[in-house]
Amino acid sequence: MRKFFPVEDLARDERFNQITMDDRMADQRTAITTDSRPSRAANRIVPSRGDASDAARGLMHGIFVGEIQALEGAGRTCWDFTTGEEAPFELKLDMARQCWDEARHVEISIKLSDWMGSEIGEYAENTVLFQAACSNDPVLRLAGVNRALEGLAIDVFTTMKEFGEVAGDQYLEFAEDWMLADEVTHVKMGSDWLRKITENDPERRKKALDFQSVVDKLFSYGGTRSESQESPIGLARRFRELAGFDDQEIDVIADLSLAALEERKAAVLEAQAAHN
Amino acid sequence: MADAKKPRAPFAPWDRRELPGLFSVEESARRVGAYKWCELKLFEALGGWIATVPELDVKMRLGAHCYKHAWHAELWHKRLPELREMNPDRLSVAPNEDMVSFIAALTEPEAPELTIEKLVGVYRVFIPHFISAYTFHLNNTSDITDAPTMRSLRFILQDEFEDWRDGEMLIQSLIETPAEVDRAAAHQARLEKILLAAGGITGSGTIGFNTLKHEGALA
Repeated sequence: MRKFFPVEDLARDERFNQITMDDRMADQRTAITTDSRPSRAANRIVPSRGDASDAARGLMHGIFVGEIQALEGAGRTCWDFTTGEEAPFELKLDMARQCWDEARHVEISIKLSDWMGSEIGEYAENTVLFQAACSNDPVLRLAGVNRALEGLAIDVFTTMKEFGEVAGDQYLEFAEDWMLADEVTHVKMGSDWLRKITENDPERRKKALDFQSVVDKLFSYGGTRSESQESPIGLARRFRELAGFDDQEIDVIADLSLAALEERKAAVLEAQAAHN
Repeated sequence: MADAKKPRAPFAPWDRRELPGLFSVEESARRVGAYKWCELKLFEALGGWIATVPELDVKMRLGAHCYKHAWHAELWHKRLPELREMNPDRLSVAPNEDMVSFIAALTEPEAPELTIEKLVGVYRVFIPHFISAYTFHLNNTSDITDAPTMRSLRFILQDEFEDWRDGEMLIQSLIETPAEVDRAAAHQARLEKILLAAGGITGSGTIGFNTLKHEGALA
């Protein structure tokens, strides 16, 4: 088995349809909306939204495939690096623990998807999460996956938990809350290891934080996640604090996300004008 | 209420634990170091394979089992300093070069159509050998002096039996043709021969045969 596994070789059965971030960005439907009205004042996934059921199902499927890739990414970190030389033994133990957690999340996501009325493969699988787990530096993986992407997972699970709460869906609320607990643990793992390994290596730490910022921005594409009600997913400040983010770090992500939302709105207006 | 001053036997009549054991402190540490190395190699392989198997149920089981073996490695890592090995890395090594070759052969399959080979290597070869090695240790060490190792062995054996059953059921569910039976058997035989040369998880004498008398052991 090779060290460092390319994203295009991720093994899937025939139900899955994989796309890359490039595919997504090249898709005209994501840039041009047929809705000629200005952006809705509130896009947050709430039961009162007209398309709430489908939006929630789509998000749930996104969580499902994200959990698979997180499982694969943590597993690869166990394998790709030589114990002791390239990655500490204890870090690998944490990654193995994360494998188990992510495997349970896949199970939970499948049960929840079924509960919500969707099927495996009903939506496309964006493989960008695993791409963030392909760095040849374990610290960059921790920054990109554990801090950026698992941080996003905290936001997503908080939003879905609130959705379940408002909709009176205790099944959904219960499961999301359990997954949220695990994600806080994973983000904290990333924060702790990042600080520990780069304690005496400021350059490596900067590189890792820069990489995290790139991933954060990538996942803020379209303003999908921000503190604005115009974003489908909110920013879960409290749980991020529990996971080891300080106020300044959360503010940076909040600003980045809002900027991405504004960029997105401008791009949609421009595309609509060109289309008309 | 019994008389608080009345002397009682230090070992109750039902407590049949014995003091003698087959392993000295050094031999126990050597075995524990080999256990750690093998569990480490196993959890690394299971983690690496997750991305390579297309079967969703197998993918998830590998993720769960990866952690269990990491936890076993951690238990052994923590046991080593208690056995006077203050530098656990010194004993966290393969028992011999044949075991290194075994791990190389075990982790060779990568292609998505080789799930049977991946699972056979783990669940029909490696884990049964873990069960043998751990059972031998449990049944031959001192019930009293080596009780902490025995406690870990019992926890770990429970995992090994459960994982072996999980893995065997996955293999049986994946094998659908006589040709696949042959594939599984051929791969198992190939790996078993390498492990035979290695002498098992801890090298020669893993389960007693060819065991040398170790200094300080009480048989």
